[in-house]
Amino acid sequence: MESFRRFDRSTSLFIGLLIVSFLVATVDVRSQGAGIGDTLRDGTQTLFAPLQDAVSIVTRPIVGFVDGISNIAGLREENERLRDQVGELEAQVQDVVGLQNRLEELERINGLDPPGDLLAITASIFSVGVTGFDHIRWIDRGSDNGVVPGHTVVDEDGLVGRVDFVTATRARVRLISDPRNGVGVRDLVTNETGVVEGQGSGLLRLRMFNAQESVEEGHLIVTQGGRYAPGIVVGRVAESASSEAGFSLITDVTPAVDFTRIDFVKVIVGWLPSEFAAPDEPSDPIPELPDPFEGN
Amino acid sequence: MTGRHIIYALLLSVAGLLIQTTLFGESRINPFGAAPNVVLLLIIVSAAHLEAEPALLVAFTAGLLMDLLGGSTIGMWAISFLVVAYVTLRVRRRIDDGLLVVAAGVLGLSVLGQAVFSIIGTLFGQQVFADPGWYRQIVLPSLYNIVLAIVLIPIVSRIMGGSDTRRLV
Repeated sequence: MESFRRFDRSTSLFIGLLIVSFLVATVDVRSQGAGIGDTLRDGTQTLFAPLQDAVSIVTRPIVGFVDGISNIAGLREENERLRDQVGELEAQVQDVVGLQNRLEELERINGLDPPGDLLAITASIFSVGVTGFDHIRWIDRGSDNGVVPGHTVVDEDGLVGRVDFVTATRARVRLISDPRNGVGVRDLVTNETGVVEGQGSGLLRLRMFNAQESVEEGHLIVTQGGRYAPGIVVGRVAESASSEAGFSLITDVTPAVDFTRIDFVKVIVGWLPSEFAAPDEPSDPIPELPDPFEGN
Repeated sequence: MTGRHIIYALLLSVAGLLIQTTLFGESRINPFGAAPNVVLLLIIVSAAHLEAEPALLVAFTAGLLMDLLGGSTIGMWAISFLVVAYVTLRVRRRIDDGLLVVAAGVLGLSVLGQAVFSIIGTLFGQQVFADPGWYRQIVLPSLYNIVLAIVLIPIVSRIMGGSDTRRLV
């Protein structure tokens, strides 16, 4: 009898907590990143960030050690691959000059602002998503440094993602590999536009709208503005494709950024998408922070 | 079973979260594109030791913390951990002791946790199955959890008070 009553109590509690969880999830989805959910996230982040910093001091050498071991194992293979690549690159050098001229011309035509002209601050990544299902990074810059939701985040290779949640000292970056992320893009060679969507791991999915021309392997894909600062490299077309039905064209894009190896990023604070920007306020008066790369 | 053990279980979950977010995952230790789910493993082991109600409350709390620290909708991991804790509570006394059985239990419960998250997450717009490698995010962390369990189970058992491995899974 005792165990039967206990079974009942635990099952009731289980069902009760499940209902609470579903309610919380529904409220969080409906509030769309605002309200009580963000307040709770803010509080939890504020509480955990110093702890994560402290634990990182211990775990970083372990990560470095494991990374070093895996690198040694791959060095021989990498060496052979690089030898082959040198040969291919020498052949491609001649083409690069021509392509650069074409790129500059296209940028002028399209009015693309080179990302280097936009005010940006450097941030380091101190935490990643809790599991492989999370395609996010936490950076050590927040609203105190002028970071707001909507800011574009890049590294030296190209587009990393977008800030979608900010506390005073931290910000969460949702990577472009997240399936919920869509990036308006332009094929720099054909000038056709489309959207790149994350697929979790691996390649990104490219959908070209009204594609009149096929996209070829190696074409450079850049942001076209909208939700992300324009002119930032997203990646290269991984596989040539042409439109079958005449309405859209779908293929894969190899991201320019290796998401597994990001340590530092730049947050472009000098540009905000129209959905976030205040109508009469330019987003310029944010002071630039000292660059941690300087002097290294 | 005392309140002390419940606090220990909660502290272990927090420690697991800190390790999860700083040691494992992309840009960290992430063999073959996946990492163990330390907190899920700790929930399994805690549920094997605690009484039913505290075990469910610990699972719920740890799940909420995981949601708040991650990028998922709040409540997703709470649901997943609740299901895993509940199933662990139901089966823990019916399984004979033994290394293989414990390993199979950890594997099965980890797969269950990851799968529940994927399905519930999809219902709430998480789009887990948009990733062509979604099955890896379910299977690989579960396999890694078995390896991690070899280290964690004795430690957690000692902390939770008792070396009765029969109650682990």
